[in-house]
Amino acid sequence: MLKHLFKLIWNKKKENFLLISEILISFMVIFAVFTLLVYNYQNYKQPAGFDAEDVWAVDLGVMNISKHKDSASVVHENLRNVMKDLPQVKSISFSNGNVPFADNYISMGLTYKKKEIYPDVYSVEDGYKDVLRLTLVSGRWFSPEDNGREKSTIILNEEAKQQLFGSGNAIGKTITQYDDKMKVIGVVQNIKGQSDFKVATAGAYQRIDTGRIRGMSQMLVRLMPGMDAAFEGKMYKLIASTIKSTNLEIKHLVDMKAEKNKETTIPMIIFFIVAGFLIINVALGIFGVLWYNINKRRAEIGLRRAIGATATSVSMQLLGEALVIATFSLIIGSFFAVQFPLLKVFDLPASVYLQAQFLAILFIYLLVVICALYPGKQAASIYPAVALHEE
Amino acid sequence: MIQLKNIEKVYRTDTVETQALNNINLRVAKGEFLSIMGPSGCGKSTLLNIMGLLDAPSKGDILIDAQQTLSLNDRKLANFRNSKIGFIFQSYHLINDLQVVDNVELPLLYRNSSAKERRMLATEALEKVGLSNRIHHFPTQLSGGQKQRVAIARAIVGRPEIILADEPTGNLDSAMGNEIMNILLELNRVEGTTIVMVTHDPNMAQRTHRLLRLFDGSQVQ
Repeated sequence: MLKHLFKLIWNKKKENFLLISEILISFMVIFAVFTLLVYNYQNYKQPAGFDAEDVWAVDLGVMNISKHKDSASVVHENLRNVMKDLPQVKSISFSNGNVPFADNYISMGLTYKKKEIYPDVYSVEDGYKDVLRLTLVSGRWFSPEDNGREKSTIILNEEAKQQLFGSGNAIGKTITQYDDKMKVIGVVQNIKGQSDFKVATAGAYQRIDTGRIRGMSQMLVRLMPGMDAAFEGKMYKLIASTIKSTNLEIKHLVDMKAEKNKETTIPMIIFFIVAGFLIINVALGIFGVLWYNINKRRAEIGLRRAIGATATSVSMQLLGEALVIATFSLIIGSFFAVQFPLLKVFDLPASVYLQAQFLAILFIYLLVVICALYPGKQAASIYPAVALHEE
Repeated sequence: MIQLKNIEKVYRTDTVETQALNNINLRVAKGEFLSIMGPSGCGKSTLLNIMGLLDAPSKGDILIDAQQTLSLNDRKLANFRNSKIGFIFQSYHLINDLQVVDNVELPLLYRNSSAKERRMLATEALEKVGLSNRIHHFPTQLSGGQKQRVAIARAIVGRPEIILADEPTGNLDSAMGNEIMNILLELNRVEGTTIVMVTHDPNMAQRTHRLLRLFDGSQVQ
C-alpha cells in the first residue's frame, strides 16, 4: 500500500507541487525555530558556574579621592571595614567593571606555546570566589601567599584552559601577555556571565591591583538572604558617606541577569509569534487542500469502497497520502538542513542542528496528521453508492 | 447465488419520500447472466448497488451464497465485496493518475497478496481483455472501449464469482459495445462467472440468459 501511495503522489506531483512547497517552507521555518530553541535550551541547561542570588553589584562611580595610590587604598580599606561591620554582609570583593551581566567587556591576549586566546578578564580580590561561590576545578584560588611573587598569578576557567592546554594539565604552567609572565595556579568552572542563554566563553581571573582606582570600580557584596529596599537605602547612604562618590549605583545581580535574559527571550518570543502565524496558515492550507482533494476524489473514494476498502482504510489512505507528501517535502528540506552543520553556518554545534532537524520533522508530521484526520474521517463517511454516481 | 427477498428502498429528505424499489424478489443462479432493463429513474442502479452491498435496503434481505449480508459489519462487507464481487461502471471509474496495470491491481491491494502476485494477476487479467500491450499507459491515453476493458480487467482480477455491471456499454458506440459484451459473455461462458448487467440496450439484453424489467421501482417481468 505504501508503494501504491508513493506512486499515486509521484504521478500527481504537479498537482501536489504547491502543497509540497508549502510544507517545505514551513519545515525550514520550524527548523530555524527549533535550532534557536535547542541552542538556547542547551545553553540554559549548562550550570551557571556561580550563584547570583543575594549578590549586589555596587558601582562606586566617581570617587572624590586623591590619585595617589596609598590614598586610594585607604578609601577602599575604609569602605571594606565599614561594609564588614554590617551584620547583613556575608562577604565582599572589589572588582574591575567586568562583573557578571554588566555591559562592560574587558579582554586581553594570553599566549602559551604560540597559541593565543582572548578571554574575558576579571580583575578580582581573594574574596571574589566566596562572593560568587565559584567552583574550583583544580589548583587553588588566590591567597595572601601570592603577595610579592616575582611572577603574577592567574586563574583560568575551563574553556580558557581547554583552548590553551587541551586536555593537558594547566596548573603551574606559565603563560604570557606580551612580556608579562603569569603562572596558572587554578582552574574554575565556566561561568555564564552574559545571560542564562549565552554560552560560557573563555575567562581569566587576575588578582586586582589594589592601588588602581579604575581597576576597583565595582564592589560585589554577598548578603544574607531577603535583604529589602530599606536595607539597600541604608547601605547606599553608608557607602556614599564613606567614599563621597557622586554617582553611586547599586544593582542586584539577579535583576541584571533578568535584563540580560530578556535580550534573548524577547526576540525569541517575537520570532515564535511570527512562526506561529505561519504554522496556522500552513495548517489551514494543508487542511484546505486535503478537504478539496476529498471532494474532488469522491468517485475514486466510492470506487475504492466498492472494491474492498473499509471506511477506516479510506481514512488511513488519505492520511497516508498527506504523510507521503510531507515526506517528499521533508526529504528536500532535510537536504538543505544538513548543509547547516556541514558548512558550519552560524558556528553552532552540529548536535543543535541535528536535534532541531529531528524535532522539526516530528512537528511537521504531527501537524500533517492533525490536519488530515478530520478530512480523512469525512472521506470515510462518504457513501460508496452515492460517490460512484459522481464524476 | 444471489437472493433478494422483499427488497424495498425509500429515499427520505425532510419533505419528500421517494420509493426507489418496491417489494423486489429475485434469485440469480450461479453462472447465470441476468440483464436488468427499465426507463431512467426506475431503480435499476439502486437495485444493483443493493445487490453489490454498496447500499442497504430500507427493508428486506439479501443473501449471497446463502449468507445473510445485512448483519455484516463494515470490515466484513468490504471483504465480501473484495472477494466475491467485481464492479463495472458506465463511466469506468479508472484513476487517471495510475497506469493501467496499477488500476487493475487496485482490488488486490485490499488483500494479502504480494506485489509480484498482484502484478502477475493484473497482467493475466489484461491479457484476457486484450490489453496486455497497454499496461504502462495511463487511462487518458486510451479510447472509451479500452477504458472499459481495463475496468473489466479490474473487475475480474480478483476472480470474483459475481460481476455487477452498470450500463457497461452505455458510453460506447455499438462496435465497442459489442466488443465489451463479447468479453462479458466469454467470462460467463468460460469462467462461469455470474453476471448481472443493467442496460438500456435491448440488443445487449437479448444476448443474456434472462431479463428483468423494472418500472417505478417494481418488477414487471
